Amino acid sequence: MYVNSSGAQNGSYSLTFLGKKVGRHHSVAPAGKQLAWETTVRTTQDPVVSSRAGQVPVAAQVLDDLPGSVPEIREQRPCPIIHNTQLDQYDNNTAGKIRVFCRVRPVSRIEAAQSEAIVVHKVDDFSVTVETPRGQREFQFDKVFGAEASQEDLFHDTNRLIQSAIDGYNVCIFAYGQTGSGKTYTMVGDKEQKNPGIMPRSFNAMFDIIQQNSNKFDFKVSAYMLELYNDRLQDLFVSQSGEAHAQPQSHGQAKRVEIKRNRKGVVFAQGAETKEASSAQELYALFQQACANRHISATKMNVESSRSHLIVGIMVESKNMTNGSVNTGKLSLVDLAGSERAAKTGAKDHQLKEANSINKSLSALGDVISALSAELPHVPYRNSKLTQVMQDSLGGNAKTLMIANISPSECNLDETLTSLIYATRVKAITNNAQRNVESKEIAHLKEVIIKLKSGQTVEEEDV
Amino acid sequence: MASLSSEEWRAICDKFTNAQNLTDVESRNDPENDPFRSKYKARELLREIYCLLKSFEPGEGEEDRGADISEQRPTEEPVDGQTEDWFSRGFSGDSPAGLRAAKLGAVEYYLGVNHVDTEELSAGQEHLMNCMKLLEGCRVSPENVSLFIHGRNQLGILWAGRDETETAQGFLETAESIYQRYMKEDGSPPTDMTEYFTTGENQLTHQERTKRFELAYTHTMYYLAQVYKNLGETERAATYCHNTLQRQLRFNQFSPMEWALNAATLSQYYITKGRYMEGRHCLSAATVISGLAGEIPSEAAAQESETESERREQLRQKRAEIARCWIKYCLNILQDSKKLLEDNIGELDTDRQDELKRARRQEEEEEEKGRKSAMLFGSEDTFDSIASLEEKVMCLLPLDFTEARSVFLVGQNYVTQAKEYFQMDGYVTDHIEILQDHSALFRSLAFFEEDVERRCKMHKRRIDMLEPICKDLNAQYYLMIRRQLMFELAETYNEMMDLKLTLANRQADTQSLDNHTIKKFNHLCSASAKYFQMFLDSLCSPEGKVPEHLEQEVLRPALVARFRVARLHSRLINSAPSAQLDSLNKSLENYKYVVQYCEAHPEAAAEVETELELSKEMVGLLPLKINRLKARMEANN
Repeated sequence: MYVNSSGAQNGSYSLTFLGKKVGRHHSVAPAGKQLAWETTVRTTQDPVVSSRAGQVPVAAQVLDDLPGSVPEIREQRPCPIIHNTQLDQYDNNTAGKIRVFCRVRPVSRIEAAQSEAIVVHKVDDFSVTVETPRGQREFQFDKVFGAEASQEDLFHDTNRLIQSAIDGYNVCIFAYGQTGSGKTYTMVGDKEQKNPGIMPRSFNAMFDIIQQNSNKFDFKVSAYMLELYNDRLQDLFVSQSGEAHAQPQSHGQAKRVEIKRNRKGVVFAQGAETKEASSAQELYALFQQACANRHISATKMNVESSRSHLIVGIMVESKNMTNGSVNTGKLSLVDLAGSERAAKTGAKDHQLKEANSINKSLSALGDVISALSAELPHVPYRNSKLTQVMQDSLGGNAKTLMIANISPSECNLDETLTSLIYATRVKAITNNAQRNVESKEIAHLKEVIIKLKSGQTVEEEDV
Repeated sequence: MASLSSEEWRAICDKFTNAQNLTDVESRNDPENDPFRSKYKARELLREIYCLLKSFEPGEGEEDRGADISEQRPTEEPVDGQTEDWFSRGFSGDSPAGLRAAKLGAVEYYLGVNHVDTEELSAGQEHLMNCMKLLEGCRVSPENVSLFIHGRNQLGILWAGRDETETAQGFLETAESIYQRYMKEDGSPPTDMTEYFTTGENQLTHQERTKRFELAYTHTMYYLAQVYKNLGETERAATYCHNTLQRQLRFNQFSPMEWALNAATLSQYYITKGRYMEGRHCLSAATVISGLAGEIPSEAAAQESETESERREQLRQKRAEIARCWIKYCLNILQDSKKLLEDNIGELDTDRQDELKRARRQEEEEEEKGRKSAMLFGSEDTFDSIASLEEKVMCLLPLDFTEARSVFLVGQNYVTQAKEYFQMDGYVTDHIEILQDHSALFRSLAFFEEDVERRCKMHKRRIDMLEPICKDLNAQYYLMIRRQLMFELAETYNEMMDLKLTLANRQADTQSLDNHTIKKFNHLCSASAKYFQMFLDSLCSPEGKVPEHLEQEVLRPALVARFRVARLHSRLINSAPSAQLDSLNKSLENYKYVVQYCEAHPEAAAEVETELELSKEMVGLLPLKINRLKARMEANN
């Protein structure tokens, strides 16, 4: 995320986001931190999906934290603990924070051939600059991955979140960016799975951790996989093609899916099928099945693939065999649709939202009104399913990682981010405490102090 | 159409119909790899029409020259300036030259839109400007006014897209003034642009003409609202949003639920500005118009069909959202009034109350009536229902308990409505936010209540609704919510404790407190301290380590909580000196924490100025008291 955002509005959103100044982490990180970071990076082994030979180096990573986090956290835990019922390897306070990584993909052959100007430059591990017609802009992130960074490098820094999910946190990892900026490569990997992305690697990492702890805990892993298209959630475990044969009109009749949470924090996809998996292979098979269904549904609806979001939810229930306590965590992996569509339909700040030429609906009027003041008491919009789904993964005690994928020759990176931040900004906590409500208390105490000072005995009078 | 045979004309009309169909219908099925296929086809047709019109219709000599001259004129001046000219200069719109200019202008317009749609902005701009130039030679008339407006709407969008908001504003404001002047001076239903290329039998009815023309102007309002928003003129933007909504309703061009939600959102804007009359009107209209979306399908019906189930869900959700906007209305009006009426320690200032009551005179209401006529929503059939809904709740700040109570009851009613949909399971955060509002409603009402005992009961209601939830919620997932609840519970217990004491003092007068009262008091005091402590504990690491550095968003709450805990410990009534000593030590410890934290983090001092100052005093004074107590204990031993 960025500090020097284009407008004052953006700035204020980024400041209040989850009560955290996202993107500023690097500023609290001492310069030496980078070195520490770099030296530990090289301990990574190659977790190759197909062979699953390598152990995911969770232990090695416990010591080094995500860049920019508060230094003392590391000191808190001198020795790595693989599975700790105390929730997490790092401090409670990291929850609710959003980390934003930026990944710049290599210049493609076509771009090189066309000798496209490279406008994005990685300055250091935390910032990139973008040449815009209005001058150079700098964007800051929790970590920047350049073109040379491998899938392993990236996963190395996301891996520990898998542990958090097993420890009972609501973890969300998502990639966004323009079409062709490498989102799917980042999340899923290449077609042949020679360079698997975060999703398959997470499956492996998860079951590796589970295996290591199988003598102390009883684990149950289940997953739902959904597609969000046109503000509608589709269950990807339900084969669209099969249904289509039976009922030609089945699309409109597809089962309604809603993502909800109960008071115990358990997230459930109401109306969607949840399937259990007992190994990484099984989970991967489910994932492939979902992808196949996604593909069918996409072609059937004549959907531009870039407009559909893929949402994978993996629930881990761990039962402590000694004391019987049960922990439920969730890992959400999201491959967002390309952001440029949103820009085209008028998501850019300065563009006027047109009246829909077909049904003449002034559908964006609500957005205009909501934007009149940043402090509307209640905004009656669930503006989009995506926001709703994401909010669930962003709010409260969630741990979230955004990966902003950008291509070196493009610079449209802020649209989606801005709107997401806007949509999920949370109100300052304990509003009451912010106001001067304790004036009565203070007035009273002032009296007490005067009495005490004058040497009067203040016993019951204090009351 | 002297020089065009009717066959040729028919051919042009067919081409036009085709082009329209390609643009609006066919284009939706264009493949991903050729997304503008149909639009390009439409463009070709439009070009052909343009050429045909140009070649076939040079018309009767002289009158035509005007159009040609204006076409040749370069862009020596910005097109939009004084509107005066458009109503007086040039040839009349219904003259052959005027009609020819309008037709050519319309084709330019459609070509312009076509280019903009296919992302060729500068070409689009050129065509649209050509359209403007063609019209420049003509006076505004029913034949061309629609084109005047449409063209400028499009130019407004185009320039706004280039971040040239002021240029966009110029075009749109001109469109606005042309509309207003036209409606004042002529007002007859204008020709729609599509009619230029229809054969006689397909002319539109007057009603349809009006509808289309008014819609174009509604779009002008809608775009201006956005322009003003982008320029930071929120007040004006709000007015234009309001106008847009008004016009949608008046010309029956809206979908009820979308409209209702927009009106409800607008109400929230007015509420932040303290304009409760406008806010109330928006909400009443929202409720009434949402009713036009029809009955909520029954649960049984929803189980039968997926469509009904979807509809049921949608209607219930949106009506619940509107109810939540109403809750905020009631809450905010009560809170604003409280702010106005409270004295320096947060109690009702009766002098101020009398003063405000006197000031609330007839003229105020008269003035409001004047303001009201400008903002009314509604058609003949909805007007009465909106008005009667408005009567159910006041829009002036409530000034006494009776008034406050009437607002409270309305709010509470909406709380019940909203909770019906936003149930705990599934909508945890929404449900709790509604409960928090309910609690806040009680809190505001309690301020107006003079009877201390009843006030106490109101706070008890708050505790009863929040405490179980705070206990029940998953501590991990709902950390933030629970922190809010803990803080609120702590404060509520504190409030009750104060009230109990006031009550006891009043009854017992000068006598010392009886045992029962002391027990009650201590219970409330400990409960308050417990929740403050719980809040503080939630900030600790999993190992229970107090954070060395408090994050900005919890800084003030955390230090205030410490301060309050310190205060509460010193207020516990202990008969045993040892217990008293214990409490005082705890109190001192917490005061010390505030002082030490601010020493270690100087930037924190500004956040808790008063608390810090008092804590410093207490850190100096409490040890004396502790020592005296110790001395007395030793003496007694």
